[in-house]
Amino acid sequence: MKLALTRTFWFRFVAILIILVFAVVLFFIGKQHTVLIDNKTVTVGGQEIRALQLVEIQIDNKDPLELAARDRDKEDVTGQKHSVTVIYTDSNWEEYTIERTFEVPLMQEMVLLSIPTLVANPEADQSLWLENYEPPTYAVTAADREEEVIIDDLSVLLTDI
Amino acid sequence: MNLQQLTSSAKGLVKSFGLPRIIIGLFLLSLFITAPFVGVNIGTSLSDTFNRFGMNAVMVLAMVPMIHSGCGLNFGLPLGIIAGLLGATISLQVNIPGPTSFLLAILFATPFAVILGWGYGQLLNRVKGGEMMIATYVGFSSVAFMCIMWLLLPFSNPTMVWGYSGTGLRTTISTEGYYRHVLNDFLSIQLTDHLTIPTGMLLFFALLACIIWAFLHTKTGTAMTAVGSNSVFARASGINVDKIRTLSVIMSTWLGAIGILVYQQSFGFIQLYMGPFYMALPAVSAILIGGASVNKASILNVVIGTFLFQGIVTMTPSVMNSMIHTDMSEVIRIVVSNGMILYALTRKAEVTR
Amino acid sequence: MTLQMTKTQKLLRIMGNNMVPILFLVICAFGIPLSGYSANFLASEIVIRISRNSFLIVSLLIPILAGMGLNFGMTLGAMAGQIGLILISDWGIVGIPGIILAMIISTPISVLLGWWCGKILNMARGREMVTSYIIGFFMNGIYQLVVLYGMGAVIPVRSNALLLPRGYGIRNTVNLIGIRRALDDLLLIRLFGIPIPLATLLVITVLCLFILWFKKTKLGQDMRAVGQDMEVARAAGIKVEHTRIISIVISTVFAGYGMILYLQNIGTLNTYNSHMQIGMFSVAALLVGGASVSKANIRNVFLGVILFHLMFIISPMAGKNLIGQAQLGEYFRVFVSYGVITISLVLYEVRKKRDQHYVGLQLAADQEALQ
Repeated sequence: MKLALTRTFWFRFVAILIILVFAVVLFFIGKQHTVLIDNKTVTVGGQEIRALQLVEIQIDNKDPLELAARDRDKEDVTGQKHSVTVIYTDSNWEEYTIERTFEVPLMQEMVLLSIPTLVANPEADQSLWLENYEPPTYAVTAADREEEVIIDDLSVLLTDI
Repeated sequence: MNLQQLTSSAKGLVKSFGLPRIIIGLFLLSLFITAPFVGVNIGTSLSDTFNRFGMNAVMVLAMVPMIHSGCGLNFGLPLGIIAGLLGATISLQVNIPGPTSFLLAILFATPFAVILGWGYGQLLNRVKGGEMMIATYVGFSSVAFMCIMWLLLPFSNPTMVWGYSGTGLRTTISTEGYYRHVLNDFLSIQLTDHLTIPTGMLLFFALLACIIWAFLHTKTGTAMTAVGSNSVFARASGINVDKIRTLSVIMSTWLGAIGILVYQQSFGFIQLYMGPFYMALPAVSAILIGGASVNKASILNVVIGTFLFQGIVTMTPSVMNSMIHTDMSEVIRIVVSNGMILYALTRKAEVTR
Repeated sequence: MTLQMTKTQKLLRIMGNNMVPILFLVICAFGIPLSGYSANFLASEIVIRISRNSFLIVSLLIPILAGMGLNFGMTLGAMAGQIGLILISDWGIVGIPGIILAMIISTPISVLLGWWCGKILNMARGREMVTSYIIGFFMNGIYQLVVLYGMGAVIPVRSNALLLPRGYGIRNTVNLIGIRRALDDLLLIRLFGIPIPLATLLVITVLCLFILWFKKTKLGQDMRAVGQDMEVARAAGIKVEHTRIISIVISTVFAGYGMILYLQNIGTLNTYNSHMQIGMFSVAALLVGGASVSKANIRNVFLGVILFHLMFIISPMAGKNLIGQAQLGEYFRVFVSYGVITISLVLYEVRKKRDQHYVGLQLAADQEALQ
């Protein structure tokens, strides 16, 4: 296959380049992450931040989640940039609404969003209240130790297509 | 002989024998050599290989008549296997235990093989040129059809039918008490603790091979070869091409029936329903590995091919498992057997059709 | 001597040419009342099957145009699509972007496999169908090598949900929850209570329009010429081998996309078995629609999907109500699937010889007329 630098070659080269760029774009907009929303008491820099009694969280435009103290919930999101809306009532029966945007690192599957930390420091950078999360490995592989791989399964010929 | 002559004759040998076959042969040799070093007993391996050789050789032999008469590779072997299965099940239904059941099975299988083979032959005569594809699907359709039959036919022997409902055959039926190992144990030679040679089965194969060899040298047999090499010329010489082709198909089908019976007596089980579905492929690739092509095959091809193929199937799991602790044998078997068929299909036909 | 066929002969000829679809109509006519399924249920099932399988079956049309027969090597495309899906599942890409990305990934793999397949088919002139059939099996071995041993070890796959406990190799089933019904639900409407996935049907329509347009292009006409007579095409200056390979490449690429659409509807990937059966069922469906080894069009695709899948759905219940065993119905539909391919192949060969015979007779008649 000779590589002649003709017009056809350049057209095809550019076309393939566009597709590659498009593929990368798809990767970015299609990557799914899990945001763990935490309402637990945390200790940050020697200081203890209490969990809230009842708080309502909404990620992007999804259904709002209600968390009591020491609750943890999760939400699956697609893409990197997201917004979080926190609505809570403090001890003086006043309602507060905090809206922040955050960005999930591309290659990170799970992140932990600590609500108490966010409420305590509503203007702080996301690195304070958003951290990467690694699921403990034993939780995933504890299931089937020995999974037999079925190749050449003739009964498959009778199943639904 | 100087070096030049040596290399050219070596090159000629490689070309005629085929590079893939040499690769396979060397691969098997290397497996046998590495075996003792990884803790696999050579005696058991050889024993297993001989056993599998005997089990499969007759079915590979069934390929020869049809290749000879120009009908191509018999992908429709399941049809013959079904005749054999009918013979086996009827023999068990008649319920005469012991070695006689084996002879009865052959006896019952034969009429089925002849009838099925005749019909199959008539079909193939009308589709000259596209035999292989149609053979494959005739084989599949007949296996699927028999699945329905196995459920409906009125068998009653308790060892064969489902215990719960009392009707419909089981998927696998044991030949224990009937003809299990009837040939294997006949005159078997126990060399060492691990090495047993199933002489009976090998002798039976040798008998059938001799019969086929003798047949191919009779007048009808030579006519068959003529039809396969050049059907126009054969027709001009006054040979009834269609009749010879049908005869070869009947022979192939009958050998397939006998083949599955030999297989069952060694394996110990009759496999019904979808069992025979893919059984044509190992036999086809075995004979191709042995040096045959789409329109040329000899008994030597059968022996060499079956030995090489079954050797690889036997040795790869044990040796590879001990070496790299992974069982890649299934994948290797698929790649080797199908690769061999592919190689044969892409060779130019020896004569024009 | 003129060769005019009487009206009855013409009618018999038409019936003979369409024997397989007529046979299936009869089977369905008997089976539907036997099975006891409601019309509503059957209609919604058929809509699902059409949206799921049509793309795959359409991918078989181009090789038939080019005279390569039934492309059992579409299995290769299916494998490429599956590899694409495994990768996006590992990377966690979901929804429509996931589907499109899987298609983009599968394309170069399909092109490579299709090109290799086409080269081998060119070496097996006259035996294309058997060879493509065996190529499917052979590549299955290579696919297993890659997916069962390579992934996780050589090819970087990290997700524990995908990998086997031993650390490498993909599991038997891969949950495609990320892309499940992503395309189907994009534009879902309900008509008389039957859910209709408009987006998927739109994609299928685009493909059909592409095929129609393609047949009119130079490449399409070249393929038709190669399909009718290779030597005449070669004499006309067409690069016969190249054209044949291109037809297989296009078919394989489409089969890859079709497999992705199929799997997004089902939602689970049966890693080691899905691709093997899909080839056979697609071919059977096309043949049921009235196509032959040398002639197939879009009508055949849709008629085939409807008839074949109707038969497939009603068989178990019909078997149960007729004889008392659902298992019988299941075996029956496998038998019918293979039987229809056998009959079609036999009819094709027989018809080919009869047509050659007629051409000979016509030639003789013309000679006589000249004298």
